[in-house]
Amino acid sequence: MKTYKQPSTIGRFGEFGGMYVAETLMPLLLNLDKSYKKIQKDKKFKKELNDLFKNYVGRPSSLHYAKNLSKFINGPKVYFKRDELNHTGAHKINNCLGQILLAKKMGKTRIIAETGAGQHGVATATVCSLFGLPCYIFMGSKDIERQKPNVFRMKLLGATIIPVESGSKSLKDAMNEALRDWIKNVRDTFYIIGSTAGPHPYPKMVRDFQSVIGKEAREQILKVEKKLPDYLIACVGGGSNAMGLFYPFLNDKKVKIIGVEAAGRGAKTEETAATMTSGTPGILHGSYSYVLQDNDGQIKEAHSISAGLDYPGVGPEHSHLKDIKRVKYFGINDKEALEAFQTCSKLEGIIPALEPSHALAYLIKAFKNKHKNKVVILNMCGRGDKDLFTAAKAIGFDADE
Amino acid sequence: MNNLDTLPKKKILSLFMTCGFPTLSQSKKIFNEILSHQPDVIEFGLPFSDPMADGPIIQEANKLALSSNLSTQQSLNLIKELSKSKNNTSFVIMCYLNTVRKFGLDKFIKSIKNIVDGIIIVDLPFEEESEIKKSLSKNNIHLIKLISPMTDKKRAQKLLKGSKGFIYYVSATGITGSNKLDFKEINKNVKFLKKMTNIPVLVGFGIKSKNDVLEISKKTNADGVIIGSALIQKYFDLKMDLNKYVIGLKKFIQEVKI
Repeated sequence: MKTYKQPSTIGRFGEFGGMYVAETLMPLLLNLDKSYKKIQKDKKFKKELNDLFKNYVGRPSSLHYAKNLSKFINGPKVYFKRDELNHTGAHKINNCLGQILLAKKMGKTRIIAETGAGQHGVATATVCSLFGLPCYIFMGSKDIERQKPNVFRMKLLGATIIPVESGSKSLKDAMNEALRDWIKNVRDTFYIIGSTAGPHPYPKMVRDFQSVIGKEAREQILKVEKKLPDYLIACVGGGSNAMGLFYPFLNDKKVKIIGVEAAGRGAKTEETAATMTSGTPGILHGSYSYVLQDNDGQIKEAHSISAGLDYPGVGPEHSHLKDIKRVKYFGINDKEALEAFQTCSKLEGIIPALEPSHALAYLIKAFKNKHKNKVVILNMCGRGDKDLFTAAKAIGFDADE
Repeated sequence: MNNLDTLPKKKILSLFMTCGFPTLSQSKKIFNEILSHQPDVIEFGLPFSDPMADGPIIQEANKLALSSNLSTQQSLNLIKELSKSKNNTSFVIMCYLNTVRKFGLDKFIKSIKNIVDGIIIVDLPFEEESEIKKSLSKNNIHLIKLISPMTDKKRAQKLLKGSKGFIYYVSATGITGSNKLDFKEINKNVKFLKKMTNIPVLVGFGIKSKNDVLEISKKTNADGVIIGSALIQKYFDLKMDLNKYVIGLKKFIQEVKI
């Protein structure tokens, strides 16, 4: 394999990606791309971001050897990259800090963002509070209902929540509304996209900001195991935590990489969010990538118990990595994820979010009694506090008492 | 022969309506009414599940059209049927790229050749258009360009080069049917565009009434207007009664034809 160098200057990952937006947004995206290129060379920017990573987020996040879970699987040695220990409880803050510093540099005075599980909304509200910028979060009304703790968090942080009632009332529709708001308020507004999705330069920019995860993990594993991992595993909704972990390892041919999608009630059913298992290439939210759609190109509604993975699209870089077979993608259904959620809590003393519970479920299922002497890094990209009510309801525990 | 090449010089009227809205059979009646007024241009919106550049009214129209499982083929058939009595009216399709891609570009072009004069693909910017533009122009279909107040001179020059049909000038930085009109800014920008192109410049987004149309004509250098959301809004204002709506449309179109 040649050295991995994606995307192209026009935002193509192989044939995927690009900029498919209305003309009103094009000058903005081109300007954003230019500004982003400029700050990448800016030492002061890097220093500022690294300082925030260290002192505000608590980076580097630790690499924990999950001894009990490893024993339970009776297979490889499992390490958790613990981005759930970050300030705000997930990996989302890494990207938000990068983007808000950029917004400041570009002189923008109003921040908007979409959110599904609320983790990106909380992270955005947090950085807006830190930098004193007004913050508007678009959130599907269905997600507002199932992620109440995060809604309250965002409000405490001073953000305005705008409920989205259109379509499936979840992440996809929140992103539509955020894009519409951006078209309306192009002059003063910066849109902090939370995943490696959307038009160029977002997929690249978000990946770059998140790749701190993989860079740290690489150093950490080399230190403890004196070798690179045999496997990387991460969950994929839009795909930002996964790209963050995978990207610094893409040139290491021997490292096998696995992305786990949410299959909802099953990848072959209509109620799924497993875009790369069940979808076909199409255009959604400004980029060309795998998407759940019907024969006429109408986007289907996704389904997953995890609001963070409940998205009918996926970042274009994942589509590319799937097509060049560098990363393999699998689906895990709601039930399997819920079981892994409980197993990990009981065995390891870590309550994972429902998103990484999908990656955990795949690990338990596919590695059980196999791949001994191998080393796996799993991205523990979020903690489960936000999911307690959803999980309790699904398991049949009355959390009100 | 492409009707867009013989548009009148001034006071061009372009009317937008979503195909299959509110149902396919009612949509036929609505389009027949619109066509009977022989506007200079009719824009046929192809419904899309995620119309990210459209405001709530056109979103609702798309949703209603799609709720009875309207297919792209049915929309194209409807346009074909109407084209029998199009006369000098230019037919323009307005859609999102995924609809065309999924239908198949070649098949799509084949279905609209000699029926449709132009196409606006909302989310296909200049940077991504070359392949599609080539196929369209081979079949004498013009790819209509949108230009917004955010488009600077250098970019506008690139966009205008070789453009045919008309220029869709987005009068407000906004989604369809939103924001207030700023005639001063519109005039400034239209003047600037007209220095660079010979094809008509039409103003769209946010035009709601006869008064708006008159003001655009009086206070700006624009060659005409595009009306969309206001046309659809009437349907909801008239409590979704088709007969009343058709009468309402007639009255409205007569008013805005200046």
